[in-house]
Amino acid sequence: MVSKTVKIVNEQGMHMRPATVFSQAMMPFTAEVNLCFNGTKYDGKSVMMLMAACIKCGAEVEITCDGPDEEAALAKAVELVESGLGD
Amino acid sequence: MYKGIEASRGIGIGSICLITDHDLSFEAKHIEDTEAEKSRLGEAVETLKVKTAAMAENIRKNIGPKEAEIMEGHIAMITDPAMSGEMNKMIDAGQCAEAAVTAVCDMFIGMFSKMEDEMMRQRASDISDVKTGLLKALLGVEDVDISKVPQGTVLVAHDLTPSMTSQIVKDNVVGIITEVGGKTSHSAILARALEIPAVLSVPGITEQVKDKDIAVVDGTEGVVYINPDGEIVSKYVIKREEFIRAQAELESFRGKETLTADGNKVELFCNIGTPKDAKKAIECDGEGIGLFRSEFLFMDKSHLPSEDEQFEAYKEAVEIMNGKTVIIRTLDIGGDKDIPYLGLEKEDNPFLGYRAVRYCLANAETYKTQLRGILRASAFGKAKIMIPLVTCVDEIRAVKALVEECKSELKAEGIGFDDKIEVGCMVETAAASLIADMLAKEADFFSIGTNDLTQYTMSVDRGNAKVAYLYSAFQPAVLRSIKNIIEAGKAAGIPVGMCGEAAADPLMIPLLISFGLDEYSVNSVLVLTARSIISKWSKADADALAQKVLALPTEEEVVAALKAAAR
Repeated sequence: MVSKTVKIVNEQGMHMRPATVFSQAMMPFTAEVNLCFNGTKYDGKSVMMLMAACIKCGAEVEITCDGPDEEAALAKAVELVESGLGD
Repeated sequence: MYKGIEASRGIGIGSICLITDHDLSFEAKHIEDTEAEKSRLGEAVETLKVKTAAMAENIRKNIGPKEAEIMEGHIAMITDPAMSGEMNKMIDAGQCAEAAVTAVCDMFIGMFSKMEDEMMRQRASDISDVKTGLLKALLGVEDVDISKVPQGTVLVAHDLTPSMTSQIVKDNVVGIITEVGGKTSHSAILARALEIPAVLSVPGITEQVKDKDIAVVDGTEGVVYINPDGEIVSKYVIKREEFIRAQAELESFRGKETLTADGNKVELFCNIGTPKDAKKAIECDGEGIGLFRSEFLFMDKSHLPSEDEQFEAYKEAVEIMNGKTVIIRTLDIGGDKDIPYLGLEKEDNPFLGYRAVRYCLANAETYKTQLRGILRASAFGKAKIMIPLVTCVDEIRAVKALVEECKSELKAEGIGFDDKIEVGCMVETAAASLIADMLAKEADFFSIGTNDLTQYTMSVDRGNAKVAYLYSAFQPAVLRSIKNIIEAGKAAGIPVGMCGEAAADPLMIPLLISFGLDEYSVNSVLVLTARSIISKWSKADADALAQKVLALPTEEEVVAALKAAAR
């Protein structure tokens, strides 16, 4: 399992569009992707759970990936979050 | 007459097509063959996914990629592994697919509708849309085909779901009325994109109307009439024509220069907050950027943005504007804009304290990072530097010295920049206004910030409701100040702009024409409106009005006189 803590930089936080972008990009990976925020784990491939987490701009989240392609999944996830999730 | 929320401007008069909700009731049964039931759900998911993807494509083609994002979000929801996982679990426990869809969607709807954030609460209606779609697919219910309604139709529905809105044919639908939804709902956004008048949140309207009833939809005022008498209809026919004419008149100013009635050319720029806003400025026919607030680079971060980060952002804006002016206001923090990582102390009087250029000059290294970023961007277009909150000549001199320092550094490093980059200042304090003639000898241009100028001239905190009545740019003191600043700039031969809200105010514009303002910087959406108002005033007419107004001793009289003369 690999993990990294990142900061959400897009202005609107985890709204519909960023959550869609993130979950859809994670879908092809075999690894399980989770976002840990405020002590709760959220499924990184689920747009609903990502939105339900109410992650605002500036929040720090820990991304963990577990599975055969975990390194690639984490790299993609971190890149997406840091580039503002398409916002 | 019914009142609702005005969600999309304009007037529509037409014949109602009532979209009734389908009967999606089902009998919950116990499932023995859970695998078969799960694949039945899987098929419904696939059917809805394909249908939604087609709608997304339809919207992308007919409205735009931004609007299509809603449907792309729906696809993500439909195929959400957490949702389908929950549903499959319920089927495994013996529930039928319809019951599983209902229970899981309702759980999420309940969760989202309790959220504080309005945009998140809106998502509840998306999930509801997905739920309806899945149930229809499972029950084999066909949709009403909105794309087939005849010309002159007013659509009435409990809620116009994004999937319904996506089928609307613009030429056939003249109005939209719903029982739910707000200004930021998808229906409202799509109605505005399609330029169809819409009134949302009209309570109980679906119970009050039937197919073929005549409806008047006033999306500007948020008013609806059902089967109105002839007098009301003729009133609204006239209103509709006026609206269309006014819109067409505004459009006729697109792509034109900004000229006063007697043919004097002025510049009409936009205020922006991020590089992407520059695209909007171009779309709205702005002639340049009169105020690029650089704070967005500094807010919502844990550390100072690097020179490269800043350079990229400024370069993006400058390149989008493609040779047109981009005036970048350097860091304007403090006051009401706090940046936690700077560790500024809390002050008793933040608006009179350590902010803007005062902070920048005390932290020269931080400031130089920004100045270097702007200088580097100036190699890619027409960037200008603007200093906020100037109160004395020393500040401009100090900033110019720093700019020169940065220039020699860049030269030594072999990095390109515009050697003739202009450095101007905001005139937004009482002090700057009083010594505008002296500042004009140092600055390459002025830009009047009416919001702060009003606050500092009137000594009034506009956030304080008890004194906010004093906060008006039409106070005689503020008007005199504006006049003085513009005249001082003109006497020194430098251009004077204005980037506060007043620059787009129809009442203020004739005065600015009389004083001789060179550049108006407004919110992008107001470009055509401002250009239209400027075109209605000649210098002579504006002078006559200004002379009269400047003699009036109270704000009330000033506003009354300007309103009476408004064009």
